[in-house]
Amino acid sequence: MLKMHNIRKSYRTDTIETHALRDFSLQVNEGEFVSVTGPSGSGKTTFLNIAGLLETPTGGQYLLDGEDVSSLNDRDRSRLRNEKIGFIFQGFNLIPDLNLFDNIDVPLRYRGFNAKERKKRIEKVLEQVGLSARAKHLPAQLSGGQQQRVAIARALAGEPRFLLADEPTGNLDSLMARQVMELLEFINEWGTTIVMVTHDPDLARRAHRNIQIVDGQVSDLQHGTVGAAREIA
Amino acid sequence: MFELKPMLSALWRNKISALLIALQLALTLAIVSNATVIVQDRLEKIARPTGIAVSDIISVTFMPVPVNYDMASAVAADLELLRNMPGVMDATVTNQIPLSGSGSASTYFTEPNQEIGGENANYYQTDEHFIDTLGLNLVAGRNFTRADFDVIGPNDTYEPRVAIITQKFADVMFPGEDAVGKFFYSGGDGKPREIIGVVERHLGAWPSWSKAGQVAFYPLLVTGNHKRYLIRTEPGQRDVVYKQIEEKLAERDPQRVIHLDTLSKKMAQSYVSDNVMVKVLSAVMTLLTFIVALGIIGLTIFWINQRSKQIGVRRALGATRANISRYFLVENTLIAGTGLVIGMAAAQVINHFMVNQFSQPALSMATLLICAAILLSVSVTAALAPAIRAANISPAMATRSV
Repeated sequence: MLKMHNIRKSYRTDTIETHALRDFSLQVNEGEFVSVTGPSGSGKTTFLNIAGLLETPTGGQYLLDGEDVSSLNDRDRSRLRNEKIGFIFQGFNLIPDLNLFDNIDVPLRYRGFNAKERKKRIEKVLEQVGLSARAKHLPAQLSGGQQQRVAIARALAGEPRFLLADEPTGNLDSLMARQVMELLEFINEWGTTIVMVTHDPDLARRAHRNIQIVDGQVSDLQHGTVGAAREIA
Repeated sequence: MFELKPMLSALWRNKISALLIALQLALTLAIVSNATVIVQDRLEKIARPTGIAVSDIISVTFMPVPVNYDMASAVAADLELLRNMPGVMDATVTNQIPLSGSGSASTYFTEPNQEIGGENANYYQTDEHFIDTLGLNLVAGRNFTRADFDVIGPNDTYEPRVAIITQKFADVMFPGEDAVGKFFYSGGDGKPREIIGVVERHLGAWPSWSKAGQVAFYPLLVTGNHKRYLIRTEPGQRDVVYKQIEEKLAERDPQRVIHLDTLSKKMAQSYVSDNVMVKVLSAVMTLLTFIVALGIIGLTIFWINQRSKQIGVRRALGATRANISRYFLVENTLIAGTGLVIGMAAAQVINHFMVNQFSQPALSMATLLICAAILLSVSVTAALAPAIRAANISPAMATRSV
């Protein structure tokens, strides 16, 4: 599903060059649920951004679903993000001026679905996350857990094959966090590949496999049930 | 792919700032469209045909120094001299200079012994050379002859026997009729004046007068303390002749004060207020449009800064750069469109007031629509640079915590 080989990412200012990822190699197979942990500044977010096609790597090769996406243009990257990747963010990142229905509608409009198809998909995912009755509510009228469920519904509406979650429970209390985690596990059981960045070791352990990033490199692998990143490198 | 419904929802939740910009546009359209009408009216007035060969005409005003000056002989000698100057086509004597803002007018009637009603007309005392000198077009009847011409003293009582009038004056005095051969009167027990000719057009002394173009000419020289000549030169010779006239006239008779001007300059002076009005209103329109553009740029930049995270999220969810630019341009167009619709109604209300209170011309739908289209394009252009800037916000903004 995801195959990174010797990915490098550096940020350059006038006086300093920072290497966020160095010879980063990793493979995530179809249907896997992989957690990514590491200290702050280790390169987790950079990995997430590159994996989600939000940023381009400075060097190396990245194959997504068999397609080399390392040097795609902006338009093609946007299309791939929309069609193949679902995002779940720590801060939910719902658009505050839009109700739940319209929030979930955003990526579907970019996909070019007609109104009938969009409505069908939105109603389906709202049902799946248990928020059908709140479709016309604004994000601010929901609890944090409910907002994250809407964000998950938005990510699922396009039926992506690959879900990227950035600290999906980071802003939630333990009860809400457990509900969201159960939902993600449920989604993974349907066959969606999930990569989840987290600080929470308990959540990380619930994944099929945990990858630890330190200083921009994969430093450790746990629960290596599906594949080993170092084997790829 | 336009996101009209969610866009309208989002706008509704930020309606105050959107409404303020819309109202600014509405007010600008109301002012600009009405100012345009005034500017158009003034420009049309300035561009009106005068009927006169303005660019080739020099005016001379002279005042003799001696008390007992033989004005009739001096005029005859001066005109003889002027008409024989190289580059001069013709010259005439006149009591006033056309288009100069200075002249004489009277009220005229189609029946004798009338005191009420009548039509006002500017009048000139001149000679049989005035048609050729001014380049007028005689459309009916005949020109004056030397036999029609009279010379009187400044204190003499005199009623002209014949007149040439403009077509416009003929039309108001004798609508639908041939004016040649008809008589008109100056009121009271005035004697009849026969219309012997009609000239197509002569704007008269006051271009801004509501009766401008209603003019009568009489073949008469009233001797007095000063006189005026009009000299028409060959095309392109005006400035050459201008330099020689004062010297020639002074050489023939040094006992007088002579002042020269071109008719172009006189006419420009008459239109000074109109030109100032055009310039001031144009500046106001430009300034208002500029302020609106700045407002739109400011608001769009503010909204983009406010929504940079949201833009990043949209990009992460699959929006292309074009989607983002289009979003802000369509949003701006919706605000501008709302403002312009309100502005069109406001413009009509203001114009109705202007027409009734200040006799300003009516605002046509075409002018209103053109002004609205210009403001819409200004609005879209103003939003373009911020919208492109928004499109360059990285999708990675979605994962940033601040």
